[in-house]
Amino acid sequence: MKGVLLKDLYIAKSNILVTAVSLVVLGFGLSFLLEAGALLILAPVASTTAVFISITSDAGSRWNKNVLTMPVSRSQIIGGKYSFYVILAVLGLIAALIPCGVLALSGADVTFQSLCLYGSIGMSATLLAGGISLPCAYLFDPEKSQIVFMMSFMASTGIIVALVLFLNLLIPVKNHLLLTFQIVLAMAAAFFLLSCKIAVNVYQRRDVC
Amino acid sequence: MKNALTVTGLTKTYPDFTLDHVTFNVPNGSIVGLVGENGAGKSTTVNAVLGLIQRDSGHVSILGAEEPDNAVKEQIGVVFDGSNYPEILSPGKINRIMKHIYHSWDEQDFSRLLKQFSLPRDKPIKQFSKGMKMKLAVSAALSHHPRLLILDEATSGLDPIVRDDILDMLLDFVQDEDHSILVSSHITSDLEKIADYIVFIHEGKVVFSKPKDELTEQYGIIKCGAAQFDALDKSDIIVYRRMDYEWQILISDRQKMQKKYPKAMIVPATIDEMMLLYVKGEK
Repeated sequence: MKGVLLKDLYIAKSNILVTAVSLVVLGFGLSFLLEAGALLILAPVASTTAVFISITSDAGSRWNKNVLTMPVSRSQIIGGKYSFYVILAVLGLIAALIPCGVLALSGADVTFQSLCLYGSIGMSATLLAGGISLPCAYLFDPEKSQIVFMMSFMASTGIIVALVLFLNLLIPVKNHLLLTFQIVLAMAAAFFLLSCKIAVNVYQRRDVC
Repeated sequence: MKNALTVTGLTKTYPDFTLDHVTFNVPNGSIVGLVGENGAGKSTTVNAVLGLIQRDSGHVSILGAEEPDNAVKEQIGVVFDGSNYPEILSPGKINRIMKHIYHSWDEQDFSRLLKQFSLPRDKPIKQFSKGMKMKLAVSAALSHHPRLLILDEATSGLDPIVRDDILDMLLDFVQDEDHSILVSSHITSDLEKIADYIVFIHEGKVVFSKPKDELTEQYGIIKCGAAQFDALDKSDIIVYRRMDYEWQILISDRQKMQKKYPKAMIVPATIDEMMLLYVKGEK
């Protein structure tokens, strides 16, 4: 799987660098208008676009077919792509934490709790969107999967709102904001893992030619 | 183990095409050429052999394994038409990636092959010509010391010089008796140069699977007129084709037929001519 991840990294390298620099610059810029920590909502989502660049490149170059002839199983290929998605999301969070850290040191109002809250929201949206769009990238052609990719972020926002409303029936959300979004994050992570299992199962039976 | 690859009754059905009970072997130490016109089922056969597509029925035994696991795949080198590597990568980056994919990846061998083919190490593949891409794909396929090499239309679209370079490399590879090659191509002249066995596929079915020498040394074409054609024993005819000014009849034993029909003009048949007669002729 290491070789497959390295290939993804080579393909997405320039995109990852641009996204990381943009997030740091945006973090400083945004701090004049909003709480700097709010960038953590956007950062993981923005940084995962590189995964879809690598999926499109794999399909375009017929790497998908070539790699299946190598000592890499189909589950490793799918697992590699899901891992790459999580790695990029975490790297996005780390990039966004840089301006937050600098601003916190210079006296800005950045609390650990707000970082956890915004980070949970951002990661939840990212995992839900990935859970929807990643399997579709292997089921549909590149054009359709790009549409699904864009729609998945809107869908993930809707799912988060629905989950929060549901949790509000069980616990008073306004009084337990962080706990609520930690539960949402756990559910999103479970959904992401389930999506990975489904994608592996579907891909095992899929003709690649 | 006698065969590097055994394909038995391989069947795959699509709405508009059926690969129908394809059966052939690739004996150890040999080169088997899979020939047939475009759309005959060569690539479908290769894809099914490699497990890229699910087969409806039939068996494939590849290096002794029914379902090739990673250990078996380690011993198989595959080259498709085109490089099949992301074009942003360079040979140097491919080397670093493959090092982590194949346990048996030989960096020195890869560098030697790049040098032999005059391929730049740090240039992205997108700047390569088609010939360079194919040479890179062959270099990558050979650099993990495979025992079985599978090439699907790997020489199509290449100029004769590049094709010759690649064919030389294949002949060199098979010098080791434990090495075998399955090569699919519609360029029959390439296969005539290197193949030990020819498997001819037409409309998803294996028409024949024979040693190349038997085909080139024994098969022949009778060129005659209508009266001579009528006088022929029809059981001697494999296929025939009526041309503008003559009849062409494919026969399986030139010498025997020459004795039987001493006045007939019998010429050796190339694989190309056999393919044409099978595809366009009548039985």
